[in-house]
Amino acid sequence: MNIETLLLRQVHPSFLQDGEITSQVFRPTPKDENLLSAYDGDKISPEGAWRHYTEGTENRSAGVMAITKAACDIHQLPVIDDGIPYPEHVSIDFTGKSKTVIGIIAKALKHAAVERGWLYRAEGLA
Amino acid sequence: MSKGIEFLAPRLVGERFNNHAIPLEILKELSVLEEMIVEVAKWKYLQDHQDRQRVPRGFTDGISIKMTSIEDGSAIPKLALFMACVTLLPPENQQYFEKARDAIVNSVDAAERDETRITQYLPTSLLVYFDKIGRGLRDNESIEFNPSNQDCPARLNRVSRHKLLEVSTIKEWTEETLERGLIPELDQEKKRFTLQLLNGSKVLIPIEPQHKETVFEAFLGFDKNTRVIVHGIGRYNRALKLETFDSLEHINILDPLDISTRLSELSMLKDGWLDGKGLAPNKTGLDWLSKSFDENFRADLPLPHIYPTPEGGVQAEWTIGTWEVSLEVDLGGKSADFQSVNIKTSKVDETTFDLSNAESWTALNAKIDVLQKESV
Repeated sequence: MNIETLLLRQVHPSFLQDGEITSQVFRPTPKDENLLSAYDGDKISPEGAWRHYTEGTENRSAGVMAITKAACDIHQLPVIDDGIPYPEHVSIDFTGKSKTVIGIIAKALKHAAVERGWLYRAEGLA
Repeated sequence: MSKGIEFLAPRLVGERFNNHAIPLEILKELSVLEEMIVEVAKWKYLQDHQDRQRVPRGFTDGISIKMTSIEDGSAIPKLALFMACVTLLPPENQQYFEKARDAIVNSVDAAERDETRITQYLPTSLLVYFDKIGRGLRDNESIEFNPSNQDCPARLNRVSRHKLLEVSTIKEWTEETLERGLIPELDQEKKRFTLQLLNGSKVLIPIEPQHKETVFEAFLGFDKNTRVIVHGIGRYNRALKLETFDSLEHINILDPLDISTRLSELSMLKDGWLDGKGLAPNKTGLDWLSKSFDENFRADLPLPHIYPTPEGGVQAEWTIGTWEVSLEVDLGGKSADFQSVNIKTSKVDETTFDLSNAESWTALNAKIDVLQKESV
């Protein structure tokens, strides 16, 4: 993994309205223990990540967007190459950040991801 | 010669009836009352004359019910019974129209207080008239048929009307209906289109010539998620499921970010909506937010995108120039955390709003307004 490595995030259909995603895509939920899951883009393609996430599971994803490792570095977010529960898994660590700061970072990451655009888009989902 | 006698003075209760005003759609329903009274009067006559197969010739000739004035109150239309008469004495059939009125009023009172008594006053076949009387009443509106009696005002509202219809012989009934959805199918030959509701179910709606252009536009915009709001007479089965529309009164293309529509969509989420995680937002809370946005958010400001949060709340978001703005709403507490971040300058503004308070909405409007003007 290097600073240009893309960290792939699945976009849940409810986190998409009229083609726009919410900044929550880049914010860990309270149950995530401040760790935001992503796929290592050096190890799997966006379509491959989408298939891995949705096929044979009940998970839903409208598509895949991404931020770079460099963007995480700017916001002092360690990227942990944990490989658990699957080899391509990484965790973006928000530990120690306040709710306010998490909100600010999530907005900046969303902005960067939207500028990059969709890396994979599922058919038939708004 | 025709003379009028005071007959009925129902009180219309609800905000729409303030200042002695009666919407035309309600007047239309009151006009059905005349038809019902005539039929109930015939039934009453035949009850008293069981040897007869039908009422005497001319029993209903010259009979009419007219509104003579609207009195103070929420709005009280004064209805008089006019009967053509050739003598100074009241005609014999007058008593049957008065009995009919009393039976109708008593049946409504029974529906409100003890529905098991409804059929003591009217047969199930005549209760079907309530399909057309009171169907335009909204929540918190009623018609009191006996307003002078505060203990038993014989209140017809959405609940008591449903009870009357449940007892009637009617298999399906009609309601003033407002629905939102997409138009995936259009049948020009049969002059009707399909509306796909937010919950995915589909209903057929007839097309009137004046609505053709809007229906076409929405049909062609199906792939782009172009939604419409339709207002008309919906037909429901006994399980209260909307089956079709009898008529269409209004249809409008919705803004893609229409807030009520989006919040209605979110009301269909179930716990676990976020791939096994995620609490569903509370329906009462969503209704409150929809109404609050409608009443307080300025129409000239950009509409937000709206998303559920895993905690059972709602997050509104705006992208205004280089500003990313979020309003995270706690539906239970009616409060919201506002945060705006300028992606270029890193400037941040944060505050918490009490959204049960109109002043907070004014302050929110002002913040969005400033960001919008700054970004022009």
